[in-house]
Amino acid sequence: MSEIKNLQDEKSISPVQVQKKNKKPISVAQILIYIFLSLLVVVYIFPLLWMINVSLKTNPEVFKSPFALPEVWQIGNYIFAWTVGKLGIATLNSVLVCTIALVVSLVFGAMAAFAIARMRWKFSQTVMSYFLVGMMIPIHCVLIPLFVRFSKLGMTNSLTGLVIPYIAFSLPLTIFLLVGFFKSMPGEMFEAACIDGCNIYQCFAKIALPLAKTGFFVSGLMTFVANWNELLLAMVFISDAQKKTLPVTLTYFVGPYATNYVQMFAAVIIAIAPSIIVYCLFSNQIVEGLTVGAVKG
Amino acid sequence: MDKLLRNKKAIVIFIAPAFILFTLVLFVPILQVIYYSLCEYGALTKPEFIGLDNYIELFTSDETMLTALKNSFFFMIFSVISQQIVGLFLAVLLTNIKKGRNFFKNIYYLPCVLSSAALGLLWAFMFNPKMGLNQILACIGIEGPMWLSETSGFITLPMWVIAFVALWQYVGQNMMLYMAQIMGISRDVYEASYIDGASPAKSFIYITLPLIKPMMITSISLNCIGSLKFFDLIYNMTQGGPNNTTHVLATHLYEQGFKYFKYGYSSAIAVVLLILCLLVTFIINKCIKVDTYEV
Repeated sequence: MSEIKNLQDEKSISPVQVQKKNKKPISVAQILIYIFLSLLVVVYIFPLLWMINVSLKTNPEVFKSPFALPEVWQIGNYIFAWTVGKLGIATLNSVLVCTIALVVSLVFGAMAAFAIARMRWKFSQTVMSYFLVGMMIPIHCVLIPLFVRFSKLGMTNSLTGLVIPYIAFSLPLTIFLLVGFFKSMPGEMFEAACIDGCNIYQCFAKIALPLAKTGFFVSGLMTFVANWNELLLAMVFISDAQKKTLPVTLTYFVGPYATNYVQMFAAVIIAIAPSIIVYCLFSNQIVEGLTVGAVKG
Repeated sequence: MDKLLRNKKAIVIFIAPAFILFTLVLFVPILQVIYYSLCEYGALTKPEFIGLDNYIELFTSDETMLTALKNSFFFMIFSVISQQIVGLFLAVLLTNIKKGRNFFKNIYYLPCVLSSAALGLLWAFMFNPKMGLNQILACIGIEGPMWLSETSGFITLPMWVIAFVALWQYVGQNMMLYMAQIMGISRDVYEASYIDGASPAKSFIYITLPLIKPMMITSISLNCIGSLKFFDLIYNMTQGGPNNTTHVLATHLYEQGFKYFKYGYSSAIAVVLLILCLLVTFIINKCIKVDTYEV
């Protein structure tokens, strides 16, 4: 009954009823929307939950009763994945590579962005477009020359060799985003600092950098997520098991005949757990930050 | 002040690190890859100039390349259409509800920040012939198809499956982009249209759509380039198999370059990929005209 009443309300609306309608919390359409959205949540969460379930079973159990909860929790799967997959060292490598790439690309990017956005010189626009072209170039295109060059220099199979391309490929986006932030700062501030006797380096370090915090957060987040999940370059460059990053380690379980699902999923869960935990803690900031980055980029 | 900002030495110091690194790691290799693509070049041989032979072989006698091109284009078109429509649809739904918006938004966005490599393994299980989805289907008495090993059809079933997984993973990104844009539209505009008697559908077509057009360029470009360079999911779900039917440009490039060590040949694929990416960006920016509205 109440549903019909709601429909009637929507059809004949007088100012008084508009008032009423606003007070009513949920209409039929809203209910339908919520049902649809909840179904979609199932589509998103169910595979992940099933994966956790499978990772705690034995292989025959997965075949026999796919949906039942595990009879005995097979913590052994996790121990196996952790030791054989060398996930500990892989996590450490990933953290190391991504953090260094993040810090260096932010520092270099901020310097270049400051010069492009704030300083006056003839080629600033040209240099900017030069960097921007980099955003359209996929990393695959330079894979072979980079690999050839780096193996001549003996830098394949080392984390340094991985960090350098990551920095270079993070630069265009970082510069682009930070230029936007630096440009939006009021020029009077720099003038005031100048009158007070700041030199250009102090202007950069003491005024521009602290004011661009949001910019750093946004571009840092985007580069970090991209590098953390990067697979191709890491797979090509690194063959030593001690130096693999997380996504590469997982390919150990790849293959048409890989049937050892329980241990594979244990590995996958360990690998994505840090991302999920961080995401759950800061989901709003992360989603906002990545969106701002993509909107501007 | 002006003198300070024209300080040449400071400019050079600021620009140099990024510029040098960028040039060495990105720009020089691009030139190199173009040169290599004109060479016969393997892991053990020195590059030897052979003109356009690699390209001729690529487009005339390499069947996998044709499959890869076909799949890449299919993938791009499917991703753009499906992700735009579903992303926009979700964005509209989410902007219309009052409670729990953040909750739903964060759930749908979650796969975007997870590693495709890990999710590829998850979905390989879900579409395994004997496990995952087929176990669910078996419960209601349907025998599921061989999701990832079917080879018939112009676009094979595994490609559809992978395309849907990509939709599942990346639609959150488009949703967020459109949500940000829709939330930016002033409520007054909708109220005015409401008073003028516009139905929700009409106000969507005449207000929402034109005002989110600028975001379409961003979102479509991201989609196109993202799907052209698509690698992780395919590598972890099918590795290009069965029978090379699920290769895309990136997996073909990887296999030729680092499985068979045909550097020259693989470089030719890289150049094709590069040209496609630049072309697509160019076309999108030319074709979609942005009208600016004063709101």
